[in-house]
Amino acid sequence: MLTSPPSDPPTLVTRRLRAVRALWRALTGQAAGLTSGLHRTWRRSLQVRVVTITLVASSLLVGGFAYLIADKITGILLENAETDVLLRLRNGSEYAAKQFNLYNSPQEAQLQDTIDGTVNYLAGGDPTQTSGVIVAITADNFTAFIEPRTSPDAQVRPLIGSELRAKVAAGKIAHQIRTGTLDGERTKYLVYGSPVPTKFGQVELYYLVPLARQDATAADARATVVATGAALVLLLGLLAALVTRLVVTPVRVAARTAQRLSAGLLDQRMVVNGEDDLALLAASFNQMATNLQRQILRLEEMSRLQRRFTSDVSHELRTPLTTVRMAADLIFAERDEFDPAVARSAELLQAELDRFEELLTDLLEISRFDAGFAVLDSEPTDLVPVVHRVAERLAGLAERVGVAIELDLPDTPVIAEVDPRRVERVLRNLVGNAVEHGEAKPVRITLGMDQSAVAVTVRDHGIGLKPGEEKLVFNRFWRADPSRARQTGGTGLGLSISLEDARLHGGWLEAWGAPGQGAQFRLTLPARAGDRLTTSPLRLVPADAALPFGGPRDGGLLAIGPGSGAGALAVGPADGVDRAEVTS
Amino acid sequence: MSAPGGRVRDAGRRHLGAVRWCHRAGRRRLLAALVAGSLLPAALIGCGLPDETEVQVDGSGPAAEAGALNGSPARPPSPTDSNEPGPFIENYLRAAAAGEREQAYTRVKEFIAPESRAGLPEKQSSEIELTVVRLREKLEVTPPNNQGTSAVTVKVQQVGVLRADGTLAPPVESDTEYVFRLRRTEPGQGLLITDLPNVLLVRDTALRDYYRPLTIYFWNSDQKRLVPDLRYLPSSVPTERRVTDVVKWLAGGPSDWLAPGVTRLPDGTRPINNATGADGHWEVNLTMPGANDGKLALLGTQLAWSLSDLTGKLDLKIQNQKRHTVDLEQERAAHAAYPHGDLPARFTVYDGAIRPLAIGNEPTAGVPIEPADNKNVVSAALARADDQVLAALVVTGSGGRKRLKVGSGPAPVTVFNTNSGAYRSIGRPTWLRSLDKNHPAGLVVADGKLYRFDGTSAAMSRVSLAVPGPVVAVASSLDGHRIALVSGGALYVAAVSVDGGVISVRQPRRLATPLTAITAVDWIAENDLILAGAEADRRPAIYQSTVDGAQATALRTNLGAEVTQLAAYPGGVVGGPPAFSYMYEAGSGANRAAYRNNPFDNIKREQVLDLPAGSGATDPTAPFFLY
Repeated sequence: MLTSPPSDPPTLVTRRLRAVRALWRALTGQAAGLTSGLHRTWRRSLQVRVVTITLVASSLLVGGFAYLIADKITGILLENAETDVLLRLRNGSEYAAKQFNLYNSPQEAQLQDTIDGTVNYLAGGDPTQTSGVIVAITADNFTAFIEPRTSPDAQVRPLIGSELRAKVAAGKIAHQIRTGTLDGERTKYLVYGSPVPTKFGQVELYYLVPLARQDATAADARATVVATGAALVLLLGLLAALVTRLVVTPVRVAARTAQRLSAGLLDQRMVVNGEDDLALLAASFNQMATNLQRQILRLEEMSRLQRRFTSDVSHELRTPLTTVRMAADLIFAERDEFDPAVARSAELLQAELDRFEELLTDLLEISRFDAGFAVLDSEPTDLVPVVHRVAERLAGLAERVGVAIELDLPDTPVIAEVDPRRVERVLRNLVGNAVEHGEAKPVRITLGMDQSAVAVTVRDHGIGLKPGEEKLVFNRFWRADPSRARQTGGTGLGLSISLEDARLHGGWLEAWGAPGQGAQFRLTLPARAGDRLTTSPLRLVPADAALPFGGPRDGGLLAIGPGSGAGALAVGPADGVDRAEVTS
Repeated sequence: MSAPGGRVRDAGRRHLGAVRWCHRAGRRRLLAALVAGSLLPAALIGCGLPDETEVQVDGSGPAAEAGALNGSPARPPSPTDSNEPGPFIENYLRAAAAGEREQAYTRVKEFIAPESRAGLPEKQSSEIELTVVRLREKLEVTPPNNQGTSAVTVKVQQVGVLRADGTLAPPVESDTEYVFRLRRTEPGQGLLITDLPNVLLVRDTALRDYYRPLTIYFWNSDQKRLVPDLRYLPSSVPTERRVTDVVKWLAGGPSDWLAPGVTRLPDGTRPINNATGADGHWEVNLTMPGANDGKLALLGTQLAWSLSDLTGKLDLKIQNQKRHTVDLEQERAAHAAYPHGDLPARFTVYDGAIRPLAIGNEPTAGVPIEPADNKNVVSAALARADDQVLAALVVTGSGGRKRLKVGSGPAPVTVFNTNSGAYRSIGRPTWLRSLDKNHPAGLVVADGKLYRFDGTSAAMSRVSLAVPGPVVAVASSLDGHRIALVSGGALYVAAVSVDGGVISVRQPRRLATPLTAITAVDWIAENDLILAGAEADRRPAIYQSTVDGAQATALRTNLGAEVTQLAAYPGGVVGGPPAFSYMYEAGSGANRAAYRNNPFDNIKREQVLDLPAGSGATDPTAPFFLY
């Protein structure tokens, strides 16, 4: 938070700074937008990637070669010029030495004339015929007696560097490239210097050869190389684009076709063109699709036949069962007249027939779900009476096993658009299970609602569920302990049917359980039919459930640290005094 | 090679910079790659010729050639050499000549007081002229006055003007007396000139001491003979530069007085820079329009003779192209500058006939004239031209008048033609040797006028001359294109030109000699004349003088009688008489006698050969050489 004194008015500088900052932000924002756009394109388009990589790689390669060639050409041009000038210089130096050999002292009057004549002679006389070569003779050791001469006349002193002068004065032939303005145009000159020995000492001969022609030639060559290179790079880019397009297009078609296939349009096929690899891909793809389609149809058919069989068997069993039922009812009604053993048998028969009937009913229900014939009859229903009804219906059973059913219901009606028959069946199933596995401990039914959903939890304190079993409990005919005999009337299909019912409502049916702590089932349904569920008004894990490590002490802190296993987190009660508290 | 390395390094640095920029510019791979791709051509544009490179050494320069320091660097006289006004001025009169011509003013001005130096305006190099004078008398020194200044009067004879081309031209000044005023730099110290003539004065002796005469040659008009042209070169100039100077002189053309008789080099011929070379190999580079082998061969011969003290080979280059090579010695041996005639033989006129003289062991020859014609001879001129002998006799005719009798042919000459004209006096004739041998011709003086005579018909025709006095003697040089003549007691030289067979004598040039009242002249060397006249004290004397009058030396003074005829042999051939041999006739009437030198003696009657029996006992007269 900026805490500048408010009395300080914003100066021009700060205003400008602010404007600049704003501009910078705008620019960076745009750049970031552009960058993210480019990044997206880069990630999404194989073609862009391939073309870009080709362009970069080829321009690096072509650039390197072009540089090499241009440098070589420049080197050759320069070397030629140097060789020529060196030859001229040596001859010139020899000639000048002969000319000056006639003089014994720099004071001799005709020496200056000879220098003039020599310079003119070496320069070739006519300046327009000598392609700009400048010849100069200087006598740094005898400036008092000998004036430097240049032909054609020009101020070459600045072009002859002091380093070159020193080298020549030391008796070496040396050269250097210098840039200067002699005839109104800035030109590069190859400056060559050689000592000219005389009887009285040494004078210096310089050749200044303009490199304009070589420069122009080098520039031409360079331009050609660059143009060729650029064209080559572009061509390679185009080529890459074309090739990628050839490959990418069928892949895209394949991707689209696969999408359609996965969406269920099993008769989608790719067009096969030619006999190349891509055609092979398309053909294989098509074959795969055909095989998949065939397999799926076969499995569908088998599934349909199975469901039909189940349904048919159930129906076919019901008719003889009705007859058997009537006979069994008759026997059951007359059991008092039989001896006790037969009477007991009649009771057993009656009970098993009930279970059989129930099983058939459930099977029929399941097969209806499987066949997709289940229809939801939604109506606004108050769930409180539904819960009461279920509790009352199971009160007998509960009393028999010594389980107390506790109800935690709101005072107000809990209205939801549900199918009351199915909800009641689900609840009956859940409560029945809880009572059955309650181990004489109380079973608690809680009803809750919020804006969008209603929920019912059924909590028992039985043996509970082992980890992983909370998913398995919804499987058909699943038993926690297969050796355990079925004592009560469970068919093994109840929870499966309940789950289907919940799904039919667009709701959830979930289970929680821990060994020794009992289990809790939660049914969550949307308040309005057809809504999507996001949360549940009630917790799945009961508040009294113990954490795996026993739970923190009251008011104590949780410690989170590295666990025993790799990458595992250990959560436990914090101990000791060296604790770090996170305060917000 | 390291030069391209440097360029690569340079360009590499630039490229690295570009890449670094790329890294900064885009962290995103895509962007970086794109920028790098587009920057490569940009980096490529940068790899042209560098604007500037390091200095690279290509090796050592040529070593100095060993060269001998030749030439004689005689120390020029300095103002501190003498504190006496007389010797001081004498030194001054030598200073201008003592060294390079271009620095004459520098040397001279050391003698002049700073305030007076403006009195001697400097001229540019090609216009520096030395006024050569000969002292007539000793210097007159006025003793210093009370202000310490003194005056020196120099009485001079104007000899000539030494020009840039080494010629001694006729004098421009006419002053015979110069006055120098001197002052002391400090009391009792050195001297300085405060007042002086505004020309560079040089004594003739200084010219002798500090200059060396050099003869260059020009072809005559039909390019068969070389005509000598005397030049002066400072002794300080080394041999190598002498070639350059000679070539320049040849290109510059002959001396003024000689110009009509000779041909110049083709127009536009000029040397390109200096002639170079040493140790017997020389190189001359020329511009010569229309140069062909013939012209180059002629120039080669000309150069061989003009560089007569050099040996070895000389390459003639025309516009840097080697076109002709001359072996100097061989060329001189193969092509004589001009015919030197045969071994000289002495003759005299004895008792009206030509008789051979026997002096010492010198070879003698018979008289190449038919005895019938060998009579009444007063004087004669014989010359050899190949296998022929040219004879011109002055014979006494009736009434004592003289006639010219000319004949030619193989010895002995039998056919003579006598000119119809009779003269009171005819001098000794002279043959012009350069001419066509089919049309020999000569010159003769008759009654104070110069005549040209034909070698076959003896026809005489007057040669008009712009000389004031009567002509008394004429002598032709060996090359035949230069004559010396005596007129009004003065000595002249003139060029003789032959154009289409017509002989003409060009404008004579008067020479300054120490002698007055000159009576006889002949050529004693290629560039030297022998002359007889009167010295300042009016006593007859024989002097030798260069052809331009610059140097004159007394050969014989205090002669008893006036010399009437003088004959010398200019060739100096081995086996003949010693060089610089001359004979003369002095006296008149009965006292006429002939003399010779080497050793000096009079020619006695016993030395005359082939005397017929009964000839009169007279003294030999009019001696001459046949060559």
